[in-house]
Amino acid sequence: MPVPPASGTGRYYALAAKSIRLIRQGCTNRPFFHISVTQRKRLNSQPVIEQLGSYDPMPNMNNEKLVALNLERLKFWLGQGAHVTPPVAELLGLSGFFPIHPRSYMTAWRNRRAEKERLEKEETAQSTS
Amino acid sequence: MSLLKFARNNTKHVFNMHNDTQAIFISSRKLSLVPSFYDQENPAPKFFSSGVQTLLKRLTRPDFAKVFRKRANTNYPVLKTPIYKFLTDEELNVERENANKSADRLLQMPPAVKVNEPTNDVLSKDPALVGYDNSTYMFTDITFGIDNAHRIIVQRSPDGTLQSCDYETRKRLNQIYFPMQGRKLREPKVFSETEKFNSLLDREQYEYILDRACVQYEPDERKYQELTSITYQHLDMHSKFNLLRSTRHFGPMAFYLTWHKSIDRLMLELIQNGTVREAVLLVALRQAIHADLTNEDTCNTLVSQILPRPIQQTKPDVLSEEDIALDTKCTECVDTYINTNSTMKSQQALALQGFREYYQQMVDISRGLKKAHGNV
Repeated sequence: MPVPPASGTGRYYALAAKSIRLIRQGCTNRPFFHISVTQRKRLNSQPVIEQLGSYDPMPNMNNEKLVALNLERLKFWLGQGAHVTPPVAELLGLSGFFPIHPRSYMTAWRNRRAEKERLEKEETAQSTS
Repeated sequence: MSLLKFARNNTKHVFNMHNDTQAIFISSRKLSLVPSFYDQENPAPKFFSSGVQTLLKRLTRPDFAKVFRKRANTNYPVLKTPIYKFLTDEELNVERENANKSADRLLQMPPAVKVNEPTNDVLSKDPALVGYDNSTYMFTDITFGIDNAHRIIVQRSPDGTLQSCDYETRKRLNQIYFPMQGRKLREPKVFSETEKFNSLLDREQYEYILDRACVQYEPDERKYQELTSITYQHLDMHSKFNLLRSTRHFGPMAFYLTWHKSIDRLMLELIQNGTVREAVLLVALRQAIHADLTNEDTCNTLVSQILPRPIQQTKPDVLSEEDIALDTKCTECVDTYINTNSTMKSQQALALQGFREYYQQMVDISRGLKKAHGNV
């Protein structure tokens, strides 16, 4: 199947439910995502309506994760009643466009708790030895 | 003898390597050029004012043979052969207009503006996000039709702070998403390594440096102003002004020298080459920027007389009486400047005296010719 253009093919049913989601575009061991709006019932491998941005989850040489967002088109599709999947909502929350997603807070405190436990374990291991 | 030389070279090398200051050292002459920035007063209003722009463009002395020269054939696999046409006067005028327009485009001057100031614009602080991720998230708004300067670019740091990015990061992200042709993501070694930069300066590749810096940096960047100021000073020190004539960089250089009140070498060069009219324009430029001259009115009237006349690329063969009167007034105006404001009084006065004698000869010849032709 030919790869659809990044801007999307633009063919969709007006009344069908839309969803703004991450679509994996990278290759093996190298994830890379498009933030795209597509019909909710379509698969991620099928052509999208429009691409709204990109997300590179692997930190670059400056330890940064790059996210691009086409805020104008994002607002348009939100106005059309598009659903936003949790991973995209988390990114939008971090960018300050949405309120911060509850799952981001959950991840944060779970990570903090794990870190704390790890440190405690190390301390006890040191004191015993 | 050779040992002594070796020791001297070596110490110089060590001196170059272990220097942490901003100054760039010119190894060949053992002179240090200290970069200067437009960081006190903003030069933009003066630089963009129409009077100063006209003066700077006129001082550039554009020669179309140099403006439209072939610079590199990287974009042309095969060089085009020139086209010769028979044209009527009207058609020729249209072609001349077009050539003037494209020359104006090629000679657009990089602006002199104030150095940008670091921004610290914190949008929100959320300590509950500490531990979410170890890397920074950079968010770029890629909405169509927004220019690079006004694009929203924010970052979420690992400590949960959401803030606008600093200047360097903004530039990098803009270059990633909207690449500019010729600009590199990493700084070219020519600019980051002092030795390579100095070697370019020693080879007098001023235009190459300025062109490349113009592409790589924004005019309000600190690094750009550092590099250009050093280049201008080096060029001024060696009086190689002709290398920048008919290029877009002559105007900013003249502006830089005038702004820092060091136009005397340029003035000397103009007088030595017998272009007193341009010397008057330079005096007028100094008046427009600093307003510290005594003969302001005569200077302004002279400028209004000089500007409508065509640019003198070569020395004129025949002088009309109008030309003689104008040039004499110009010489007097420059003489007043030399006596009141110049720091190289003796040399400039000597050069002006030489010009006067030469000009008197020219006047005698042209008057004699007219008399011989019976046109008096």
